[in-house]
Amino acid sequence: MLKEKIGSVLLEVQRPSRYCGGEVGQVVKDKAKVDVRFAFCFPDIYDVGMSHLGMKILYARINERENYWCERVFAPWTDMEAVMRREGIPLYALESLDPVKEFDFIGFTLQYEMSYTTILHMLSLAQVPVLQRERGEAIAPLVVAGGPCCCDPEPLADFFDLFILGEGEDVDLELMDLYHTMRDAGATRSAFLRKAAEIPGIYVPSLYDVAYHADGTVQSITPKDGAPAVITKRVMPDLDKAYYPDHVVVPYLEIVHDRVSVEVLRGCIRGCRFCQAGFIYRPFREKSPEVVCRQGKALCDNTGYDELSLSSLSTSDHSGIEEILDGLLAYSEQGHVHLSLPSLRVDNFSESVLKKISAVRKSGLTFAPEAGTQRLRDVINKNVTEEEIMRTCSIAFAAGYTQVKLYFMLGLPTETDEDVLGIAALAQKVVDLFYATPGRAKGRPQVTISTATFVPKPFTPFAFEPQVEKAEILRRQQLLKKAVDPKYIKTSLHVSDVSLVEAVLARGDRRLGAVLYEVWKNGGWLESWEEQFRAERWYDAFAKAGLDPAFYANRIRPYEETEPWAHLNYMVSRSFLIRENRKAHAGETTPSCRQQCAGCGANQCLGGSCF
Amino acid sequence: MTDHRIVFEKTGRARFISHLDLNRCMVRAIRRSGLPAWYTEGFHPHMYLMFPLALSLGTESLCEVMDIRLTEERSPSEILSRLNAVLPEGLHAVEVRTPQDRTQDIEAAEYRVTLTGEALLPLWEQFLAQPEILAEKRTKKGVQTIDLRPLIEAEEAQAEGDHLILALRLPAGNAGNINVSMVTDAFSEFAETPIYVEKLLRTKIFCGNGRLFS
Repeated sequence: MLKEKIGSVLLEVQRPSRYCGGEVGQVVKDKAKVDVRFAFCFPDIYDVGMSHLGMKILYARINERENYWCERVFAPWTDMEAVMRREGIPLYALESLDPVKEFDFIGFTLQYEMSYTTILHMLSLAQVPVLQRERGEAIAPLVVAGGPCCCDPEPLADFFDLFILGEGEDVDLELMDLYHTMRDAGATRSAFLRKAAEIPGIYVPSLYDVAYHADGTVQSITPKDGAPAVITKRVMPDLDKAYYPDHVVVPYLEIVHDRVSVEVLRGCIRGCRFCQAGFIYRPFREKSPEVVCRQGKALCDNTGYDELSLSSLSTSDHSGIEEILDGLLAYSEQGHVHLSLPSLRVDNFSESVLKKISAVRKSGLTFAPEAGTQRLRDVINKNVTEEEIMRTCSIAFAAGYTQVKLYFMLGLPTETDEDVLGIAALAQKVVDLFYATPGRAKGRPQVTISTATFVPKPFTPFAFEPQVEKAEILRRQQLLKKAVDPKYIKTSLHVSDVSLVEAVLARGDRRLGAVLYEVWKNGGWLESWEEQFRAERWYDAFAKAGLDPAFYANRIRPYEETEPWAHLNYMVSRSFLIRENRKAHAGETTPSCRQQCAGCGANQCLGGSCF
Repeated sequence: MTDHRIVFEKTGRARFISHLDLNRCMVRAIRRSGLPAWYTEGFHPHMYLMFPLALSLGTESLCEVMDIRLTEERSPSEILSRLNAVLPEGLHAVEVRTPQDRTQDIEAAEYRVTLTGEALLPLWEQFLAQPEILAEKRTKKGVQTIDLRPLIEAEEAQAEGDHLILALRLPAGNAGNINVSMVTDAFSEFAETPIYVEKLLRTKIFCGNGRLFS
């Protein structure tokens, strides 16, 4: 019945194929033969969520189990949301078109802070109580979450039954198995949660009491009912043996990253001090080239996609990258498949790699030097020299490239005006280099500078750092803008209050639950979309909750302070992060993990060194 | 190299696939099928694929047409079975032919329309009895007011309970295309009573003088 109702309204909305399911590669099962149903919810619209690799892996992994069924759920865009409210259509899953509230698990992925209010809204559209304490003792539906933001999920503690820390391939099934057994035995929600907390990687926030000092900092985090004092994230030690899908859902409409991806490695050897992904996904593990090639070919053959992305935090750091490219190149030429390497690094971008990727299609180059001077690049441990940037651009220009995009951050710790002006100087050198390169393409170079505001994140050496305030960021932007020659260099200098809200939520505590609730109540959702974001809504909510955003965002956090995420272990040790923070202030770099182990502690799960 | 004209159905959930998305969807399906598709030569090679007549979003069809070009001989039955093994729900190939007519030969299409509402048959008759039926048509040049009445060839109108089932023939193709929902919208406006469009289904495509497009 819901199916007919949905079908009858879809012509009223933009891009109806976001909402109808039925794509190639979707998994449909007989409800009567399924024991546990999992609604995998991405708290953003279809176009964004369908681009997410983690969802594709876990969707296929759960569906491999005959008696478990995982379906996809996305946030409706505002037009569809209005229609759903008008018609009384609850949030539904795309495969069965069944209401999400009928599922056993409602699982969200926490990819970015600005999606938090969308989660609240999706629960409300699903007609599921938004607050965990209002869900009662019935065991289902359980509202759970995984993903990178689980490394500090405290602002969401009021809304979730449990969080899954780390890589989900195995633990998701362990959790579903436990649920299956306990539900059939008639267990209550709280009994299940107590038991689930015993599974490594499962964090049940309601089993911890948090006390605060008078100044607002955390005094203590106390486990109860036998919950572990520390919860450690899960890791798949061997990527060759870890599950990887050979088929994914093929959308009708053009999604944000409209290609198939094969993950070539996890973790990162670089240790850029601002980068959360570079720390929380440790240890560094590579997939062997033959596995990468086999998985990539299978994905293209099974989906019909003509673009294959070799994805990771830094694909050119794979020790067998040339072997991978050699293995895929003949296939890609013959099968009209375009290879894309989204994360190339400036320093090891060799001529032969460039030739191999440009063999099929030529596009622009993107580099992220992050900072304008060598001094500041040393502080953030972005171990890239100007010489390397120039060498790479020179190779690229000689090969016919004209477009170069340079990404920077403003507001990095210790940044001075000299560093800001260094951004303009670097971009100008790239322009000059273009004209000095023999064999360059005709016409002008297109050099673009993009800047983002630095947001300090947990489990990084900069977790202790204050965020620079908006007024000062604006001043630095103006300084930069005046220093570039607009004839050759385009600037995309974005500033907004979003960065502040991100900084608050990223290192937030449980008291922020009241703020999220208030923002959502006042209409805040899909706020990752600029047009949906209202700064006043956040400032009003902070005021109403009696919380100062500056306390979270703009304050130096002493090493001795108990962080809101102190009970969560992402395997990089606190002493390592403090050591790295001290080195940053001394302007000292740390070599890549391949050159020398920095002793972060993540190799504990491998039972030895990473290399 | 051989050209094949594939006749396919687009029904159910597939009615929500837009024309642009259908092209991408078919390219991927042909790639999955393993059929030896011909790619254009040049800087950005792409699979040769041609749709002689677009279908608007929301309308179903029993007679959609797509032309493909293969680099090696394949029998119609092999093409059909390979495609149907990989097409998504709602898309189904029913016939493979050698193209006879050209895109520009298309002049009309027939639709079967199912409407729900109260006592619709007399209203429909009154609607058609009007000397002119003015409707706004959005074109590349802007909004144009046209008279639909001479363009509608009503072949059949039948009441079944609170359903009204119509068979309509409307101009189609490059020379002038009338979207079937323009007619149902104009009828809704005329009727001043709630009319619910149950189903719009394209059933036939014609060349001039009433010959089926082939």
